[in-house]
Amino acid sequence: MEKVKVMVVDDSRISRMMVSSMLAKTNFEVCAMAENSAEAVALYAKTKPDVVTMDMNLPDADGIECTRRIHAIDPKAKIVMISAMKDAKLIMQGRMAGIGSFLQKPVSTNELIDTLMIMCNENVGAVAVYRESYVTTFAKVLQQSLVSIFGIQSEIEIAQNEESVLHVDGVAAVIGIVGEPKGRVAVYMDSETMYSLSKAMLGMDPQDDLSADEAEAAIEEAGNIITGRAVSRINDVFKDKEMRITPPGTVIGSDIILSNPELISFNVVAKTSYGNVYMNVGFARGV
Amino acid sequence: MDVKLVNPFIDAFTTVLPQMGFPTPQRTGMTVNDQNAKSQGVAVIVGFTKEIRGNVVYNMSEDTAKFIASTMMMGMPVESFDEMAQSAISEMSNMLTANAATNLTALGLEVDISTPSLTVGTDFQIKISNEQYLCVVMDVSGHQVEIDIAVQQ
Repeated sequence: MEKVKVMVVDDSRISRMMVSSMLAKTNFEVCAMAENSAEAVALYAKTKPDVVTMDMNLPDADGIECTRRIHAIDPKAKIVMISAMKDAKLIMQGRMAGIGSFLQKPVSTNELIDTLMIMCNENVGAVAVYRESYVTTFAKVLQQSLVSIFGIQSEIEIAQNEESVLHVDGVAAVIGIVGEPKGRVAVYMDSETMYSLSKAMLGMDPQDDLSADEAEAAIEEAGNIITGRAVSRINDVFKDKEMRITPPGTVIGSDIILSNPELISFNVVAKTSYGNVYMNVGFARGV
Repeated sequence: MDVKLVNPFIDAFTTVLPQMGFPTPQRTGMTVNDQNAKSQGVAVIVGFTKEIRGNVVYNMSEDTAKFIASTMMMGMPVESFDEMAQSAISEMSNMLTANAATNLTALGLEVDISTPSLTVGTDFQIKISNEQYLCVVMDVSGHQVEIDIAVQQ
């Protein structure tokens, strides 16, 4: 994938270094660093970055004025403001000047990358945005929840789903996502894994009896909890998004095909000592 | 299970299908169930949430699904239930549920609907509620479509 060029505008050398180190192992490449407004405008024209991070306090003009000057030479410039202050008045003025997004210092790596990803949507493509901004969060929450709900460790793999169907033998909890973006999550596994995990969830011994109904209900509830946690975490990062989940629907049986020709979806696999737990996260195309 | 909340789904079915070239569907059965629904071959699950939450399932045989897909595609023959036919059935489920959501809004209940999840197979069950749900059977040109509706109160 082609690197996405970022220009960092900040009068503090430390802040510039922090942003570049956060982006060091990503698909973003810092193509220019400016410490004042005049330098920012000159370097923008020279390096044509895909996105700019902008500090509010600059020695020769503030970040909003600097944004106006950059927009004068490129009305499509994508600018995210990173400042110590973030209040309604600043956001209002910033939006009017053409700032697309606002972050408050100190910025976390995830927050910065997610924001830049969203800003560069057209440049990097929907698949990369979905993966970096949503699916990685689902995968992390899956891994953490396997520890907190079932007390098991897992190894996680994420891959884009190239096939239009999923094969389920056992149980699948399907949870819809409404809001922006729209989609659905399917958490599924074979029957053996379902029984082992649900017994662990309910604090039972492996040799204890558990009815199929109870085991299915346990997996359904776990799927619901995991999806709910992931969506809340995403909502916390993107303050302007409000994703919500629908109640789970569960399919139980053998040789079930779950087909989603309309979705861009990703397979997350958690390999555990009880068997594999699969999670497919799919989003409607064209969001 | 409040019947008032179920009518919007039935109304959507009888309104939307004629717009796609089907004769007006007839309701041939309605039961309150508490056991899991059995897949008839093709089952589409659509979730909804906001002022009321729940799931709706459109459950039909593969033959019926092919008949519906073919009619939706202007009578194009559908030999196998392939990706294009699956898209058609997903789209129909989406349209039906979106129309039901509009009907619910008219009752003062806002709902947002999820993307449809299409499941195919002959040996599986679908659970959409811990409590009772309503099962309505609609006849479309001699083909039966079961609509299972669960609303959490």
